Amino acid sequence: MQYGPAAFNTAKVILMLRFLLKRLGLAALVALTVSLISFSLLFLAGDPAVALAGEAATEEDIEAIRTQYGFDRPIPVQYVAWLTGAFTGDFGNSYYFNTPVIDLISDRLPTTMQLGLAGITFALLLAVPLGVIAAIRPNSLIDRFALFISVVGQAMPTFWFSLILIVIFAVNMGWVPVSGSGTWQHFILPTIVLGYFATPGIMRLTRAGMLEVLRADYIRTARAKGLNPAKVLFKHALRNAAIPVVGLAAVQLGFMLGGSIVIESIFALNGAGLLAFESINRNDFPVVQALILLFSLIYVLLTLLADLLNAWLDPRIRVA
Amino acid sequence: MTIIDSNEITTAPSPAQQMRRRALRHWGFLIGGGVLGLIILMAVLAPFFAPHDPYAQDLSQRFLRPVFLGGSWEHPLGTDHLGRDYLSRLLFGAQISLTIGFVTALISGVIGTTLGVAAGYFGGRVDTIVMFIITVRLSMPVVLVALAVVALFGGSLTTVVLVLGFLLWDQFAVVMRTSTQQIRNQDYVTSAQALGCTTTRIILTEVMPNILNNLIVIITLEMAHAIILEAALSFLGLGVQPPLPSWGLMIAEGKDMLFFEPFLITIPGIALFVLIFAINLLGDGVRDVTAPENRN
Amino acid sequence: MRSTLLAAAAFAAAFPLPTLAGSDDNSLTVAFAREMDTLNPFLNTTREGVILSRHVWDGLVLRNQETNEYEGNLATGYTWIDDTTLEFTLREGVTFHNGEPFNADDVVFTMNFVADPDNGVNPQRNVSWIKEAVKIDDNTVLIMTDGPFPAALEFLGGPVVILPDQYFQEVGPDGFAAAPIGTGPYKLTENVPGESLTLERFADYYADGPKAIASIDTITWRTIPDANTRLAEMLSGGMDWIWQVPSDQADRLAATGRHAVVNESTMRIGYLYFDAGDRYGDTPFDDVRVRRAVSHAINREAIVENLLKGASEVVHSACFPRQFGCDTDVARYEYDPEKAKALLAEAGYADGFKIPFAAYRNRDYAEAMMSDLAAVGITPQLDYKKYAATRDQIQAGEVPFAFMTWGSYSINDVSAITSTFFKGGIDDYARDPEVIAALQEGDTITDPAEREAAYSRALNRIADEAYWLPLFSYNTNYVHATELSFTPTPDEIPTFYGASWN
Repeated sequence: MQYGPAAFNTAKVILMLRFLLKRLGLAALVALTVSLISFSLLFLAGDPAVALAGEAATEEDIEAIRTQYGFDRPIPVQYVAWLTGAFTGDFGNSYYFNTPVIDLISDRLPTTMQLGLAGITFALLLAVPLGVIAAIRPNSLIDRFALFISVVGQAMPTFWFSLILIVIFAVNMGWVPVSGSGTWQHFILPTIVLGYFATPGIMRLTRAGMLEVLRADYIRTARAKGLNPAKVLFKHALRNAAIPVVGLAAVQLGFMLGGSIVIESIFALNGAGLLAFESINRNDFPVVQALILLFSLIYVLLTLLADLLNAWLDPRIRVA
Repeated sequence: MTIIDSNEITTAPSPAQQMRRRALRHWGFLIGGGVLGLIILMAVLAPFFAPHDPYAQDLSQRFLRPVFLGGSWEHPLGTDHLGRDYLSRLLFGAQISLTIGFVTALISGVIGTTLGVAAGYFGGRVDTIVMFIITVRLSMPVVLVALAVVALFGGSLTTVVLVLGFLLWDQFAVVMRTSTQQIRNQDYVTSAQALGCTTTRIILTEVMPNILNNLIVIITLEMAHAIILEAALSFLGLGVQPPLPSWGLMIAEGKDMLFFEPFLITIPGIALFVLIFAINLLGDGVRDVTAPENRN
Repeated sequence: MRSTLLAAAAFAAAFPLPTLAGSDDNSLTVAFAREMDTLNPFLNTTREGVILSRHVWDGLVLRNQETNEYEGNLATGYTWIDDTTLEFTLREGVTFHNGEPFNADDVVFTMNFVADPDNGVNPQRNVSWIKEAVKIDDNTVLIMTDGPFPAALEFLGGPVVILPDQYFQEVGPDGFAAAPIGTGPYKLTENVPGESLTLERFADYYADGPKAIASIDTITWRTIPDANTRLAEMLSGGMDWIWQVPSDQADRLAATGRHAVVNESTMRIGYLYFDAGDRYGDTPFDDVRVRRAVSHAINREAIVENLLKGASEVVHSACFPRQFGCDTDVARYEYDPEKAKALLAEAGYADGFKIPFAAYRNRDYAEAMMSDLAAVGITPQLDYKKYAATRDQIQAGEVPFAFMTWGSYSINDVSAITSTFFKGGIDDYARDPEVIAALQEGDTITDPAEREAAYSRALNRIADEAYWLPLFSYNTNYVHATELSFTPTPDEIPTFYGASWN
């Protein structure tokens, strides 16, 4: 097992850098494609001048807005203009708030990030121990229980689970607040809901990885040598099985950030997900457009991070 | 989801016999398949079973409770906010939810399998391009994009199925690509190539049958995924159009009375849960039964 | 899982008594659904903004909700000098929240600022009637309208509030939206975008105005988008006041007796419009008999009685019955499915027809109407979308038949509804010259009796031709802590300066 500081050498660093550059280029290309797709989709649907003008607008108001915002220009021209701005962090102004999109998002992204990190932590704390135990004792009661938890997690709709938790723990028991983001207690229920849905995948992967590693020669050797079983388990087996889990967790975090829309709107958490949902309802295209791009970027960067981690930790992966 | 350990089978019957034997001893497969079969039967026979017209409203008969909460057998599962029979809507709702699952899986299956098999079979530049498309697709936030599109084009069964179908093909592509790569260099494929068979023919007669088991597993997973996503869209007010009784829409319509008549979301919620549970059990079962070595 | 659910079902019947946080420190926590687009009262397009504006600012006048008379607010008196000139005598000794004294300069600045289209007031119709304002002395101003505009006082008592001229010019529009200042009974002290606003009672508010002196010290104004979450907050004791609670929930809450449930009508009405003027293209609605058939097919009484309940009523003319100029004595189409079928057969649609049908709110009402229509053979194909998307399509002429609603921006004058939809604009699917002419007349003459006559002609024509099927007026249910004294008003603008803890 040659990982960690021992494996640190110049050749590997150079290889990693090349890998990094290549993947960064790919990430940029992916983000560009996503932005092109979402831009075309949003503009297929017609012009947003009505949404901008508000409920009591007259025909003249709408016409004026159409020219003012440049909706009368050809779509490719509008896309290039948008993209040029996006490079400098200028995503235009929100139609609804009439303030820079970037300010709105940077106001609300931290809440979503907090929720996402809390969710993934919860998922790891629940899934990894269960997965390990399930692997040590396959087909035992705990294995079955772990399996049950994971299948339930896949089968229960998020919003349904959220409502049930609110009814029981917030309204009836009064243990936690119903909604808002004022204190850490406000994050308890949403964290459980968001984290729970990442649990099945992580648990299955931990279990599979552990099973595989436990069958591997060096573990058998270590055991045959009479090493402390707990030490074998944690120092060797878990460490190796953890590599793909870390990758999956990063990817799941990416999904979570893009998928917290339902949870944020139920728990009135003022994050980027809720902003996305409300912006969709308000036909506030610049915000929706920027958020789609942002979530894609986060996802791409997290997978890149996961790949880098894997490449660095696992000598079996050829980084060239 | 294996309950038995297939390594114990020591006789050497044909692969088909082996599979059948494994299937018959696999509880997850049996239960999942059985329950799903039952739900499909319910959906198909809904017109015969349903005690009432699922669309017939009676505003004077609203929020009647189910029989087990003190209601009458006239409406065994009670009535909804427009006085429509809940049992009838649940039965017909099975049709809608299953249709969403099947059709979405069909669309995404065709897209994903085509891409995946092409990438796996041809490799090289084709593979690079397909991998790029997959990465692009994976990086798009599904719920957000689906919501935006449905909000713009209006929710309807067709829009929802199309949107989900065009979004949920990634797993098909990923798995079909890997599976095809694994068998591309097998003897029977290379010999077919040597015999001068056309590529289409090789893919259809040699490749497809050998990746079918994996395909079935992904189909079940994506069916479940689509049904859940439709429910989420409906919950956010952007799913199928009323009066179609999809289970997701029933939950969405019942949620207003969450604190007063919880049966309205509990009943379709449990139905949805059981359906997804069964589909997932079946999917795991198919994997265990057809390829026990891939179990994880 | 099953047991959890059953537990949830069982517990749902037994809520704990709400804790009464607000009454202890004389504070009030209220919840609204939408985040405001801006705190600037002249750029705000939401109902929430109208409500906030009523608390933080004052207009020159204020309509008394009971007598419908305009009482002086920042003004103490007014007179129409001629058809286009209003003279106001201003109240003395009033200050803004930052100490800036209120005088004629503020009024003149505000009027001239908002009247300039370049300053982008949204919606423009709130101010487009203002020509200019002139200062006579520190306590007297003249406001000139752009042509005769009889509804001027309604706007001066509503959306047109007075800004502090010195402060506004000092900080500019953006700075003003970030830290707004008014003369109103509450001052805004904190704004957490998307989450909450905090309002503090303005201690120096003048005592003799129509808004009187507020009692509640602090109002925490939360934004909670999900209706169930708002209700859950109310049930768990985290909230003192919510509104727009659906009638079924309100009924159940009232039955428990743990919360005060008050119902009040609103100015919003629902209506169905038909593509009678060929905006969409050839539809069965080109034939007036088909429009009348639809009008006879829908059981509005049943929908009001079972779904809307409360103070709602069936309406027959294309306006809210208590609005000025709303003649309710027009042709009525009572529920009569047989007559509907006969009319359809006469028009050549004995077998019914399919028609696209749009709606954006109250899906259950839409479903109930679809069911009624199905009973006479008409199959509406529902396209239920968000408001912005729906109205966009409607204004583009792409929707032949829709269930829509209109709240008239709480303006108590038919010009705010009938003229919006029947004067040939993008929302007008009838395009009837006779109606357009009558409305044009009503909108520009000042004599109340003549206005009423003109509007009556328009409304009768609309009803005879069945261009709209007016459906019902809306109501709203207010749910609040029993110890809170709160009086709702029919203009759908809840005012907390009148609320107090018992």
